Amino acid sequence: MLNQVILNAIIAGSIYALVALGFTIIYRTVKFFHFAHGVVYTAGAYIAYTLAISLGVNIVISFLLASVLAGAIGIVIDRVVYAPLRREKAPDLVFLIASFGVFIFIQNLIQLLYGAQILTLRTGPVKEGHHFLGAVITDIQLLIMIVAVVITITLWLFIRKTKLGKAIRAVSDDTIGASAVGIYPERTILITFAIGSALAGVAGILVSLETNLEPTMGLNAILKGIIASIIGGVGSIPGAICGAFLLGLAENFGIWKISAGWKDAIAFVILILFLLFRPGGIFGIKTRKEMP
Amino acid sequence: MEYLLHILVITGIYAILTVSLNLVVGYTGLASLGHAAFSCVGAYVSALLALQFGLSPWLGLLIGACVAGLLGIIIGLPSIRLKGDYLALATFGLGVIVYSITKNWVSVTRGPMGIPGIPGFVIFGYHLSDIWSYLILVAIFTLLTFFIIGRVVNSPFGRILRGIREDEIATLAMGKNVDSHKILVFIIGAIFAGIAGGLYAHYITFIDPSSFTLMESITILLMVVFGGMGSIAGSFMGAVVLVIFPELLRFLGMPSSIAAPLRQMIYGLLLIILMLKRPQGILGKYRWR
Repeated sequence: MLNQVILNAIIAGSIYALVALGFTIIYRTVKFFHFAHGVVYTAGAYIAYTLAISLGVNIVISFLLASVLAGAIGIVIDRVVYAPLRREKAPDLVFLIASFGVFIFIQNLIQLLYGAQILTLRTGPVKEGHHFLGAVITDIQLLIMIVAVVITITLWLFIRKTKLGKAIRAVSDDTIGASAVGIYPERTILITFAIGSALAGVAGILVSLETNLEPTMGLNAILKGIIASIIGGVGSIPGAICGAFLLGLAENFGIWKISAGWKDAIAFVILILFLLFRPGGIFGIKTRKEMP
Repeated sequence: MEYLLHILVITGIYAILTVSLNLVVGYTGLASLGHAAFSCVGAYVSALLALQFGLSPWLGLLIGACVAGLLGIIIGLPSIRLKGDYLALATFGLGVIVYSITKNWVSVTRGPMGIPGIPGFVIFGYHLSDIWSYLILVAIFTLLTFFIIGRVVNSPFGRILRGIREDEIATLAMGKNVDSHKILVFIIGAIFAGIAGGLYAHYITFIDPSSFTLMESITILLMVVFGGMGSIAGSFMGAVVLVIFPELLRFLGMPSSIAAPLRQMIYGLLLIILMLKRPQGILGKYRWR
């Protein structure tokens, strides 16, 4: 039983990590809570559904295309809503509330187009999982874990080793300084939104392979993503991953020992404890901006 | 006609919620995203006392408001240490926790099944059952709330609240206790929200957790922002326009499977446009910080 709980925690953690990673690289450059990240995750899943199920496109191609389109949605949100706010130097709360607006708008647009009912991306019958150390793991869960690991390593190498990654880090650290050495901050922010939103899309698609699609799925995802990144330390990539797995563990132990209904409450109790007693998170860098 | 009066009653309840949130968000500048939690507590406490112990709804309303006020202390506590979007997130989280409790503590709250058959108010042996008497009752409570909050914000106490919003450190330097004022303002806001919740419970006679979701908190915040940050008249206008306007969709003969998401889409779009064009709201004078 313990092995199964840990395995479930790792799978949940992988999904949270993907959402938290996208959220984190966006947060690092723009320094506000991009709440609508959650609805990009939903949109990614629904686009994949439209392509693969409704239009019958090849499943791999439609998933790749859906991730790219999720990235495009991120860019549109940034250009239409955030870029004008940035020009006016709006306070963080204005960004957060505008982000809520985007979230509500797109979520209900999806509900209007597809209806409120549950859809599924799965084709064919549910296959029995593999037995592994007394725990059961399905092919899709294995896929989730592999994709999460591959994406995390790729992103890490991209941020650390490439010129573009360096530009992203430069803009995150000091926007004015970066533009002084010839980096366009707006263009870098655009790329960050594209990458982060594509990650959200991937997470959404993976989840809907494992469970189902419904228009409201994004709320839970973004809340867990934000909680994971705050536990780990907002703006820190290793922190986001650690936070995601810690959150997955805490939730799954809660499900095992208490009951599944209290999952969200457990997550938020952890969040509030961290906010009150260690707002910098585990890996937090204590800058003036990060410290509330 | 019945339907029209029902909308007016709901508008009155939302006006109470809006003006009490405006006290916290608009006047004091504390981002609170858990306002529905207070009305949830007010509604559940009042409904359960009436059903389980046969307590008069009047007493229930009072006790519900007091319990909501106690919750206000808990939700207000993070405001001492956190600012801006971090505070928003913490209050949001406490809202989720309250929602989870009502949903999962099935032995007391009956969970998602909700509580049916909540008794109505009784005045001197006269049962308030028709919609007219509820309209009058809610109108009285709404007027009282606006009167009291209007007095609060124009008092020296209200000046300190505005001081906290404009410059916390300067207010502290004036020798004012910023922390206790923050908690107090959360308690006042919570009490009125608790009353609104109690009125709702005894009027509708059925409550379930889905009436007090996160979306509800955001809707109340939208009403505050739409009407105007730190504007009493604005709060009234925000509640009136945003409750009545989406009802027009229904008159256009739209089925609810289209009207419900469309209404939320309009809310979302309004939030975006307000933030882009006029973040302080239509009648608001104060900027976010």
